[in-house]
Amino acid sequence: MAKKSAGFFESQKLQAGITSWILYIIAWCGAIVFVIPLVWMITTSLKAPDQIFTNPPKWLPYSQLFLTYETKILARNDGKIKLTTDADGTKRIDLGGYSHVIPAIAELKVRKNDRVVKGDVIATIPAKGKVGIIEKANKTKIITITDKTGRLIKEFQISEDTKAVVKDGDTVSEGDKIADVWPQWSNYAKAWAPKALDETFTKYLMNTLIITITGIIGVLLSSTFVAYGFARFKFPYRDELFLIMVSTMMIPAQVTMIPNFFLFKSLGWIDTFAPLIVPTFFGGGAFNIFLMRQFLMTIPTELDEAAKIDGCNYLQIFWIILVPLVKPAMATTAIFGFVYNWNDFMNPLIYLNSTSNYTLALGLQTFTTMYGTNYDLMMAASTIVLLPILIIFFFGQRFFIEGVATSGLKG
Amino acid sequence: MEKAIKRSKLKMSTQDAIWGYVFLSPWILGMIFFTGGPIIASLILSFCDWDLITPPKIIGFGNFIKMFSDSRFLNSMFNTFYYTVFSVPIGIIGSIMVALLMNQKWKTVRLLRTIYYLPSVTAGVASAIIWMWLLNPDFGLINYGLSLLGVTGPKWMADEVWAKPAIIIMSLWGVGGNMIIYLAGLQGIPRQLYEAADIDGAGMVDKFRYVTLPMLTPVIFFNLIMSVVASFQIFTQVYVLTGGQGGPADSTLVMVLYIYQQAFKFHNMGYASAIAWILFIIILIFTLLQFKIAGGWVHYEGELKK
Repeated sequence: MAKKSAGFFESQKLQAGITSWILYIIAWCGAIVFVIPLVWMITTSLKAPDQIFTNPPKWLPYSQLFLTYETKILARNDGKIKLTTDADGTKRIDLGGYSHVIPAIAELKVRKNDRVVKGDVIATIPAKGKVGIIEKANKTKIITITDKTGRLIKEFQISEDTKAVVKDGDTVSEGDKIADVWPQWSNYAKAWAPKALDETFTKYLMNTLIITITGIIGVLLSSTFVAYGFARFKFPYRDELFLIMVSTMMIPAQVTMIPNFFLFKSLGWIDTFAPLIVPTFFGGGAFNIFLMRQFLMTIPTELDEAAKIDGCNYLQIFWIILVPLVKPAMATTAIFGFVYNWNDFMNPLIYLNSTSNYTLALGLQTFTTMYGTNYDLMMAASTIVLLPILIIFFFGQRFFIEGVATSGLKG
Repeated sequence: MEKAIKRSKLKMSTQDAIWGYVFLSPWILGMIFFTGGPIIASLILSFCDWDLITPPKIIGFGNFIKMFSDSRFLNSMFNTFYYTVFSVPIGIIGSIMVALLMNQKWKTVRLLRTIYYLPSVTAGVASAIIWMWLLNPDFGLINYGLSLLGVTGPKWMADEVWAKPAIIIMSLWGVGGNMIIYLAGLQGIPRQLYEAADIDGAGMVDKFRYVTLPMLTPVIFFNLIMSVVASFQIFTQVYVLTGGQGGPADSTLVMVLYIYQQAFKFHNMGYASAIAWILFIIILIFTLLQFKIAGGWVHYEGELKK
């Protein structure tokens, strides 16, 4: 092969460097797209209702509240003033088909039968007013702006997380800032104990924790136990049984769902946690047994034999020697068991009926059916449900990534 | 003497065998009561008419014949195939591309991997709700993004035509799970192969075409099977996004949702079992088919593995 000149080599290196930079930028752009849904969930969860439905969307859950209103009411057409007055003091001026509503607070600048042209001022509203703050029992406040005679110019209802920058008795002008709308942390309290539902998320959280923790214990104990049998003993039909076990992974859960439902129904287990927990103690799932067996196969049998000579029986060998050694594999299984149980929706949906038994996933689904358009509260509730998973993920990242990698490749 | 040893060995191995079965016993019991038994029961049920209250009535192939004239069933099968045909290949290509990027030696690559992987852990009701909001036709981020490109976004989950693509797009958010598997596969490719390719003067594209891709085929094969099985069983996302209806106008009614509706809403346990069996058979056929054609494209190179 022909020798390449140094210059050519340099340019090739440069080219590789540029390619790497382009890929790097692509990777980060993609990462931003991937993280946006989660960021969007959190910012929406902190928004006040009027910050949600905006176009273009607001990224930060912060806005300022200004005292804005038209101080002058202008004629929208030429013509002769036709004036009518409603019972509440609201006046209406009709100008060639255009109706102008003049609130009671406004001062009329024209009289009946005056001739005006388009753009003339027909009424003015005081540009200054006095602030009044009324605190309500549910921690929300009402800010009122009144004129000299105490008539209302404008009023605002603000939530507990909105900080008024004006005080009772202040004089403010049109255009002044009234309040800072800070992140609405109160959305979380509202989502946690929703008024439209019978239960709070405390109940769902407790239920989910009970199911998840006992489920993980069941999976860990029984899958390691069974895997030990497959990995360390010779007995008739062992390989056939192992093949059967592996092939059960292919069976969709829907096939066994209906007979299992009937089985649990006849046992009186419907609307209890038993259908979600008890099966985990009987093998803990083919995939987990498989994973544990693969891991046990990598541990040398010398340890078992030494223990046997020391007079240990198989149960002792299993518990004292092997269980401590398979802890890394157990951590992976536990962490996936946690995610699986936390996210599981179909099984709780089928087996749990009363809201007091609902898991977080079921509770959250029910929540959306009640609060279908309150995206602030829905996102707060979703954040509540996802937060534990996110925390576990950040602390157990190693187990996640290594676990998937090894199990995926060995499968 | 020899006989005694033989006898004790025999005794030992019988004892061993008994212990083996003891350790297997939880799984054997579970297999009988929660898997094997129910499979047989569901097969029998699929030939029955059963409302959970009156005893099951055997009706032969009635349930299976009914399916062919049940437009909702045929529609659910179409929707499931539609979802699988698009989400699986796009998902596989997407996750391989991300894995290739994540296999670079950048300082921030660990952070990037975490970001790409994260959504696959949050799969479930909560992420479906996030997407409900992202896909909002008037105020959702997706349509806002499209409007920046000058495109008026569709009504997504409110539109019969766009509801299925919406769910496919949503499924792509979870490609990080498979990405990690491919990443492990990429890192298992011996470096000598690339060095050899360098000596031969291969460029980046050639290296991908003749080294990376062939070496990755066993992982792709494994992933392909798992993804097809999983996509045929899609349920939670559709249930949450459509409130259990599979709407609009049944356009997202997938097979598992239909099984759920038949079983737990209409209490047609026999019919639901029959559909579940059809689903099982479809999955089985697809899996066997993939194994059959695997020989043509999956590259096993035992000697090269360290």
